[in-house]
Amino acid sequence: MGLGLLASRALRSSSSSRVFLSTSPRYNTLVRTIVSTPELHKPEAAAAEAPAEPDLPKRTPVAGARVHFPNPDDVIEVFVDGYPVKIPKGMTVLQACSVAGVDIPRFCYHDRLSIAGNCRMCLVEVEKSPKPVASCAMPALPGMKIKTDTPIAKKAREGVMEFLLMNHPLDCPICDQGGECDLQDQSMAFGSDRGRFTETKRSVVDKNLGPLVKTVMTRCIQCTRCVRFASEIAGVQDLGMLGRGSGEEIGTYVEKLMTSELSGNVIDICPVGALTSKPFAFKARNWELKGTESIDVTDAVGSNIRIDSRGPEVMRIVPRLNEDINEEWISDKTRFCYDGLKRQRLSDPMIRGADGRFQPVSWRDALAVVAEVIHQVKPEEIVGVAGKLSDAESMILLKDFLNKMGSNNIWCEGNGKNTDADLRSGYLLNSSISGLEKADCFLLVGTQPRVEAAMVNARIRKTVRATQAKVGYVGPATDFNYDHQHLGTGPETLAAIAEGTHPFSSALASAKNPAVIVGAGIFEREDKDAIFSVLQSLAAKNENLIRPDWNGLNVLLLNAAQAAALDLGLVPESDNAIESAKFVYLMGADDVNLDNLPKDAFVVYQGHHGDSGVYRANVILPSAVFSEKEGIYANTEGCAQQTVPAVPTVGDAREDWKIIRALSEVSGVRLPYDSISAVRSRIRTVAPNLLNLDEREPAAFSISLKPESPKKVSKSPFGVTVENFYMTDAITRASKIMAQCSAVLTKK
Amino acid sequence: MAFAMRVKVPPNSANLAEARHRTFDFFRTACRAIPSIMDIYNLYDVVNPSQLRSTIAAEIRKNAHISNPKVIDMLLFKGMEELSNITEHAKQRHHIIGQYVVGNHGLVQDVASKDEDLSPFLKNFYKSNYF
Ligand code: SF4
Ligand code: FES
Repeated sequence: MGLGLLASRALRSSSSSRVFLSTSPRYNTLVRTIVSTPELHKPEAAAAEAPAEPDLPKRTPVAGARVHFPNPDDVIEVFVDGYPVKIPKGMTVLQACSVAGVDIPRFCYHDRLSIAGNCRMCLVEVEKSPKPVASCAMPALPGMKIKTDTPIAKKAREGVMEFLLMNHPLDCPICDQGGECDLQDQSMAFGSDRGRFTETKRSVVDKNLGPLVKTVMTRCIQCTRCVRFASEIAGVQDLGMLGRGSGEEIGTYVEKLMTSELSGNVIDICPVGALTSKPFAFKARNWELKGTESIDVTDAVGSNIRIDSRGPEVMRIVPRLNEDINEEWISDKTRFCYDGLKRQRLSDPMIRGADGRFQPVSWRDALAVVAEVIHQVKPEEIVGVAGKLSDAESMILLKDFLNKMGSNNIWCEGNGKNTDADLRSGYLLNSSISGLEKADCFLLVGTQPRVEAAMVNARIRKTVRATQAKVGYVGPATDFNYDHQHLGTGPETLAAIAEGTHPFSSALASAKNPAVIVGAGIFEREDKDAIFSVLQSLAAKNENLIRPDWNGLNVLLLNAAQAAALDLGLVPESDNAIESAKFVYLMGADDVNLDNLPKDAFVVYQGHHGDSGVYRANVILPSAVFSEKEGIYANTEGCAQQTVPAVPTVGDAREDWKIIRALSEVSGVRLPYDSISAVRSRIRTVAPNLLNLDEREPAAFSISLKPESPKKVSKSPFGVTVENFYMTDAITRASKIMAQCSAVLTKK
Repeated sequence: MAFAMRVKVPPNSANLAEARHRTFDFFRTACRAIPSIMDIYNLYDVVNPSQLRSTIAAEIRKNAHISNPKVIDMLLFKGMEELSNITEHAKQRHHIIGQYVVGNHGLVQDVASKDEDLSPFLKNFYKSNYF
């Protein structure tokens, strides 16, 4: 049988396949005419047969690819299948094709990684070049005539597929990647319809990369995406290529686990099933899953995620593209905390009996008990604490409810005492996460971004890698995955930098866009006002720090609820409210220190997990987790986003705002909000920025509006805020996978 | 299977008085079965015998308006069948709880008399999270 016939079969399947998007019908017919063998041997003939048509239909770029011309002189024109496109100089042939709306099959090429050019799947024909060229590694030249659909290109792809499949186990039925596998899709589209391989296949020993990533190394096609990801984005040199020729293997050189907080992303970038998710192994097929586009709440970054669920169960969490926040990566905590969503859940309202044990009761009884007690205490003895994972709706209702009860002691854990909530710039990442890429000098004060906000750290690393930006760090010794200078451990180093007596201050002063990032752990310090006034004087000295077009004074928050809580003005009235409290309403707050709470105080815990808050609670009101409710969260840069319910609530749990709304009615101070939109219009009156979903609302500029603090900074060094990256809140503490990770991966 | 209570189809009642008599008989049989029902379905922590007794009475009273002896006979037959299913453990605990302890109106203790002045929001809230 002729090779041409083979090629034509590939053609036919390709026109209907998902990978190979061809939008114009005319274009298809053009493709289908080229079937006979002679052209294969004479590329010129094939080119002659397809005359360049002047009025080809307009094509849409692949995945909405946009071109941005930094310099009008650098525009060149190339022809993709006869269709002229204008692209900036320096783009590769593959990028030019995607601008022209032609998706080139690929394995090793990835937008955010360096170019390896070793899989050869992206071969295209370029006029006047003797051989097909690897489009991902070839810069486009002016006037280049690129042909993506000639028999030569097809034949080349088919050949590459045949070689790749030679040593690939054909185990799709037992492979977790099945259904979302690039190799599977592309072999359907471009592969041969029969194999000619009769020898035995090679096999490769599986590597142990830790509790998150499962490896089946025989499936690896040596695209080296994972190696490049680890060394370029994650900044760990753990993975590498061993051996050569057919003995080539991906491995960790020595028996070692992958110790990166971003390691889960290799699962997404691996085009085959060599690296898959260990917790998700054999749990579900991707076509049975329902995807819900939501956001993550395990840190203050608000990474965009897709929650894949089957029935009432969350099966996995995968990232969603958001250039401004998480690009296309998420941290391991975000990705793998989902098993915590189904363990240790509170499902019924409960009241602690006289014997100290919890009795399940009805909502009616539970709310009646709480309402009775809240009327027996003095208004100033009522305290409300919102937890790390609270959404804006429930926080505003909690505040309104307790205000109606006469108390104004409501705060959100992690925000410390009398934090200044008046100026948004005082608690936000003012440069914005994507704006950090413009910075050329970083000063990290008392923050370990690698564990506090892994995605922000990835941005800093990206900037440092791209521009060799300087990084200075003040705080306890910690791990960085980029070059940095450890300047000192305590506030006095910061004071020295602000006074200009420290060598780093000159670097800061000469920088074009300096960025000072202060950890939110400072909020809990006694001398925090003094530290912030030192920062004020630093900003006053360095005019480049705060200008109309750049605000480099940043606070890196820790928890998802923090920014919204401050926007809504959840700040306590008195400093030691807990010591004198008689009635404490914990709304998912597990990390408040209740040691000083009077013995006879009545504690209501409204939350979703049986975590530390429950131990002291008298009444438990079960609520929904972020995957079960609709709620607004503001991330550390002030961008409001909303979670979307993916699965139903467990047991008799209710959404947080509904619980408070119901309780308010039972207590006789009915809040007039009956639906989530009513709550949101209430939010609009307090913090309208929270309703600008998916848009970052930058803080107004503020240059030394704050009064100078009379206090001196203390000598005590900055502390470590996040002890264990994998377990920071009720969900992650309930997760088994996260427990394994902290046992295996955290450095002791 | 040697079932304790075989349901036989009795001859029709001759008149309303006989049907009425049989109904009381049935009620008494059912009440006598309550201790063993409590035992086999382990209902001690959810209900007490007198509650079950009043549930049975309520179920019978539901049909108090029926005066046709044939219909009463048919209903009695159904009741006996149900009773034998229960005593033979042909049901499971949650059937009993669902049908006779909780009832159709959600939790028994939730159906309080003070419901009238509640807002629609609160009424819905007590029922479920989704409204
Ligand atoms: S493991 Fe996957 S990502 Fe890594 S080289 Fe192999 S195929 Fe590529
Ligand atoms: S994508 Fe071009 S060589 Fe792999």
